[in-house]
Amino acid sequence: MSTKARRRRINLKKWGFDALFFALSLLLFLFVFFHFAAFFTDSFDFIDKEWAALHMGKIALGCGGLVVFSAAASLLLYARKVATLGDYLFSSADRKQQIIEKSFIRSFYGIHLTLTFVASVFLSILATGASLYELTDPDGFQGAVNLFSGLLHANFNLLPTAIIEVIETIFIAFLATVIAIPISFVLSFLCAKNIMTHPLAFTFYAVMRTFLNLTRSVEPLIWAIIFSVWVGIGPFAGMLALLIHSVASLTKQYSEIVEDVSDGPIEGIRSTGANAVQTVWFAVVPQVVLPYIAFTIYRWDINVRMATVIGLVGGGGIGTLLIKYQGQGMWPEVGCIIIVIAAVVWLMDTASAYIREALR
Amino acid sequence: MSSGQQPIISVRNLTKTYDNGVTALKGVSFDVYPGEFLVIIGLSGSGKSTLLRCLNRLHDPTSGEIIFDGQHVEKVEGRRILDLRKNVAMIFQHFNLIPRHSVLSNVLMGRLGSIGTFSSLLSLFSSEDKKKAREYLRLVGIEAKAQIRADQLSGGQQQRVAIARALTQNPKVLLADEPVASLDPATCHVVMDYLRKVNQELGITMICNLHFLSLVRQYATRVIAMKGGEIVYQGKPSDIDQAWFEKIYGEGAKEVHVN
Repeated sequence: MSTKARRRRINLKKWGFDALFFALSLLLFLFVFFHFAAFFTDSFDFIDKEWAALHMGKIALGCGGLVVFSAAASLLLYARKVATLGDYLFSSADRKQQIIEKSFIRSFYGIHLTLTFVASVFLSILATGASLYELTDPDGFQGAVNLFSGLLHANFNLLPTAIIEVIETIFIAFLATVIAIPISFVLSFLCAKNIMTHPLAFTFYAVMRTFLNLTRSVEPLIWAIIFSVWVGIGPFAGMLALLIHSVASLTKQYSEIVEDVSDGPIEGIRSTGANAVQTVWFAVVPQVVLPYIAFTIYRWDINVRMATVIGLVGGGGIGTLLIKYQGQGMWPEVGCIIIVIAAVVWLMDTASAYIREALR
Repeated sequence: MSSGQQPIISVRNLTKTYDNGVTALKGVSFDVYPGEFLVIIGLSGSGKSTLLRCLNRLHDPTSGEIIFDGQHVEKVEGRRILDLRKNVAMIFQHFNLIPRHSVLSNVLMGRLGSIGTFSSLLSLFSSEDKKKAREYLRLVGIEAKAQIRADQLSGGQQQRVAIARALTQNPKVLLADEPVASLDPATCHVVMDYLRKVNQELGITMICNLHFLSLVRQYATRVIAMKGGEIVYQGKPSDIDQAWFEKIYGEGAKEVHVN
């Protein structure tokens, strides 16, 4: 029974995948077709975002129709034993072997995949509005030349200010890292699968993991905007944004180290009659402390770079200084700031790599 | 040992089924008498390791009784499990030391069950404890290595550190789970000799899992053979002959001598 059920599930997976992928590729092909049709008839611009936004319902219905059509089409292909991409990905091992034996470019899925890829690249170029003309436009090019020459002729009168601001940035990053360490340290054990084995603890683990993943998926830049509304624009908002992101990232990295510890010492310490706290302290902590330090230094390094970016939206420090001069088009001053940032990032990067190497 | 003596551990109808459905013990009953050197032999997967871990509650038995020192081991909870483990010390096949800590620090960890959590976290061991730890290191012949990191010792030396750690617990019983299985034959005898010394000089009851029959004959005062989660033989080591050997290890098995 179980093999049959499994085969049916795999088939459903294959069918679902093929239906969606066919529909997607058909949609792309349609776009490409209409683009050329418009090019020749000059009747309408097919990438019309306003029109699309107004008729979203109809478009969704059309896409649904495409999926249904593709589902039917893939059934037809299965009946004729044509190797589709879904077939290639989700079939049984011997069927896969059969499919692989045929050359990629002669097989149906190979041609399908190649065409879809080409259509995607073509449409991406259209959507980005990438144009060789803009890139070689003399006026625009001259602007870029002016900018670069400004950057190259950096105004070093700004150097003292830039250094003071970059120190502020380093401190913002440092404080965020330092506050994040103890929080992440405690949370990492609560987010490690091998520690949270009790069913109740496992529920807590699952909730924490999801919560932290959600937190981590929000970019620090967004957190900076949230906190600058909350506590006002400035270094404090930037620090809080980095702190939130650091806690989420460090906890994940720390807990993966905890999940990697070997069980032998844990069993050894438990066998002496040690309690849970003692077991963690004597059997787990010695195994994790060096990788913890390595990850922490790396996090500080990342935080310095992020603090610069966060400064652009008002998180204080060198980033805020940069956006101020950039807004006024004062390129020699911007050049000086960029040199300071590059120097600090390079220094932090080298130092942290060196220390992490030494800790190994 | 003599039948008139009171057993220190009594096991009755012990079963253990793991969460994944594997039954490791199928109703095991035996007694352990004070001061004996009991050896349990059997193939890998015969349930010997599970049996030892039930005795100090590293694993929880599914059913049956274990009576140690007048208390039901299978029923103790919380703090009293820790007290049980203090009295029933254990050493392991892979030594299970803390690699980055010094030998002395590893041995002192035998005191964790006896001192407060807070002072243990700060490594505030009393000078009395330290003296004891050094004494036991001398007993197993590696006092000179006290300050060296545990992972820089050889396998045999690490196992001796593990014995010293177990001794600082002041246990009544020492469980040894295949203590020499990952050691070379020469080192094997050194470690077994120290276990015998502990057994005879300190009077600590020994329950030891072993693979090699030649070691059993040399060190055991009594032997239990296990197969498929059941006891198939109990008696004197000298009574194990070729027939018994084949019964335990399977048809066509040949004895390997460790000398």
